[in-house]
Amino acid sequence: MRWFGFGFNAFTQTYVQEKSGEEDSCSSEREVKVSVPVELHSHALRGRISASWSRTASLFLDQDQCVYLAGFCASISSGSSGPVTVDTSGCKDAIISETHLSLAFPDRIESWDLQSKNEAPSWRMEINTQSENSDLKLPLVPGGYISSKSPVFHSLSSHLQAKSLALGGEHAVLLTVAGAVYTWGQGSHGQLGHGGLVPEEEPRTVEALWGMSMRSVAAGGWHSICIGDGGDLYVWGWNESGQLGLPSRGLRKTSQQKTDPQEEPPSKVSTCLGEELHEEVFISIQAFPALVDVSPPCEIRTVSCGSRHTAAVTTTGCLYTWGWGEYGQLGHQTTTSLDEPQCVEFFSSQNLHVVDVVCGPWNTFTAAVKKEVH
Amino acid sequence: MTSLWLKISAALPPNEEQFPLTFSDKVPLSVVEMLKLARKQLYGNTTSASQILNAQIIVDYSWERLNMGTWRDVDKEWRRVYSYGCLFKAVALCRENPLEEEILQAIRTCDMALLMGAAIMENLLQVIVCILQTGIRKLAKEEDNSENIEAKKRRIASPHVGLIKEDLSVPRIKCPSLESFSANHLLPLKPVILEGIIDHWPAFNKHPWSIEYLRSVAGCRTVPVEVGSRYTDEDWSQTLLTVNEFIDKYILNKIPELKEDIRIPDYCCLGEGDEDDITVNAWFGPQGTVSPLHQDPQQNFLAQVVGSKYIRLYSPEDTAKLYPHDSQLLHNTSQVEVENPDAERFPEFVKAPYQECVLQPGDVLFIPVKHWHYVRSLEVSFSVSFWWS
Repeated sequence: MRWFGFGFNAFTQTYVQEKSGEEDSCSSEREVKVSVPVELHSHALRGRISASWSRTASLFLDQDQCVYLAGFCASISSGSSGPVTVDTSGCKDAIISETHLSLAFPDRIESWDLQSKNEAPSWRMEINTQSENSDLKLPLVPGGYISSKSPVFHSLSSHLQAKSLALGGEHAVLLTVAGAVYTWGQGSHGQLGHGGLVPEEEPRTVEALWGMSMRSVAAGGWHSICIGDGGDLYVWGWNESGQLGLPSRGLRKTSQQKTDPQEEPPSKVSTCLGEELHEEVFISIQAFPALVDVSPPCEIRTVSCGSRHTAAVTTTGCLYTWGWGEYGQLGHQTTTSLDEPQCVEFFSSQNLHVVDVVCGPWNTFTAAVKKEVH
Repeated sequence: MTSLWLKISAALPPNEEQFPLTFSDKVPLSVVEMLKLARKQLYGNTTSASQILNAQIIVDYSWERLNMGTWRDVDKEWRRVYSYGCLFKAVALCRENPLEEEILQAIRTCDMALLMGAAIMENLLQVIVCILQTGIRKLAKEEDNSENIEAKKRRIASPHVGLIKEDLSVPRIKCPSLESFSANHLLPLKPVILEGIIDHWPAFNKHPWSIEYLRSVAGCRTVPVEVGSRYTDEDWSQTLLTVNEFIDKYILNKIPELKEDIRIPDYCCLGEGDEDDITVNAWFGPQGTVSPLHQDPQQNFLAQVVGSKYIRLYSPEDTAKLYPHDSQLLHNTSQVEVENPDAERFPEFVKAPYQECVLQPGDVLFIPVKHWHYVRSLEVSFSVSFWWS
């Protein structure tokens, strides 16, 4: 499996240089905006990636079993330039935020403060190796979940039967074993999907999805996505850069300014519920889940959200991206933002079948394999 | 344009060492690193393009932080970071013989920091934007006087005779003493129109506020604009426009220069707060602009400079008859359309007693704290409000 990265690279976190020994300063000669996918390592890596704004953590699951940290590395104990290795034998999952690296081991969970030189994790929790929670993915941990801001541990009621949890900028989206979706946190941009803008302190079920079974959830800065059992995509939250895949006024305005500055932007703005109107409708906030069409029609296999962009992989191995594109994070060789899902041509042109995608706040990482001809 | 850069350099600290960059630990080290890089580039030889790119990264990241949580919760540190980012960007734009478009972009950038950021380096951004504005004015050609609307003419007789019912009209008083205003109006919280107290404003004599004057002094500055007939409408929104764009689009056809033309009413000293705590806002809009019936948590002096406004006042005692919205966001706003009330949905509204007036240039209306008020401009109008406690 080969990993590719594109998007924000001011800390050279999007690709690891083959030669080490370069200065660890963000010089302007380095490509800050990588807008075409670049391969991360020359050898195949079997593992997962987690990305924060300034760093990427690559977890190797083969015999090395360590976490490579690329990107902003000042203050990390090794002090060397280039990727830092944290010895993490037995580590099966890793998640990185701007300030912390969280690691899951079979017998414990650890959270390391990346802003200071530490010999020990800043937070730690033992887990019962026998428990049925052993296949929980971070940030879920037995009994709840962890975040990078204090308090680290938050409990979750066991009757929720959490299957996976996506943490957004200031909200959370939970998928249960039964396929139901719960959200909580700030709601000022409609990211909770309950139809309003008020926050929720406790997990609250997204009623609009009741009765439909969801198979996957993702959360971005201010938006939420889930994939239905049939592979269709539901979106809600903020659409200021088109990250929902719905028409965004801000994008039309800038593209019009580039062509004809005198023209009036179309008049109607739908701020809340996305009603159908006869004039062109722009959505800035979608407070209830809406269905997004990817064309040509296809089944979505997995989806991930950055701060203001979204990336989805279809069952046929295509990668679609949309939303904020200023740093090349959409991978279409431009820095324009899009409010409609668009296929990343690079992969099909290289005969690559995309199987996974993970977004950092301003960048995107994809795993792909060579297409097999049967 | 190198003289522009000389003036900007003179306003900045002389070297990197004297350029302060300290932040609390709320700001991650990676962001501090970008800020330090930007500072290093400012005093170094890097290209303007590279500096703008780095500044934009800081602006983009802090902008995201500013949009988290409610406005009150946003950590002041992030507003400072945003201001620094805008500062580095604006300065970089003006470094290499900037064209008019680049100077305008730099002004817009400074305005964004002034609107959303926090003051840094002793209000350096304000100083920079003034330098940039003089740079623009030198480039601008002389405009025609054709758009001049006469602000100097102050009406002696009200042209809206018959609009106000005599027995409901807000009382008027000319230049009361502090003591009598305090005793008769402030303490009992009774609305009154103060006449003659702003005649000395330069906005009336030295720099009469006309469209042409506004363009010359503030045309390229960015201001928040409310779009929509009333803020309770579903398609109401706020946007940011330059004063020129706003005038072009809506009139025709947070700026301190305009602040020089007005003065804080002396009566504000009767409050408990400092002069620094007084919020001054300028409201500029076309005929027909309506502010739906609402209340504010502070005392308000509404001074009319250009044009006239119809205003109706309801006492907070009658709040129940005014049907405020239930929601958290709008609970200080009435659901009733004052000049076209729905008697079926809001039967008690007609029973609520009120006072009304037409505010003319030179008038100042005292709106006591929490007093409900409804405003409709009768012509192109420019008012200044002073919120104080």
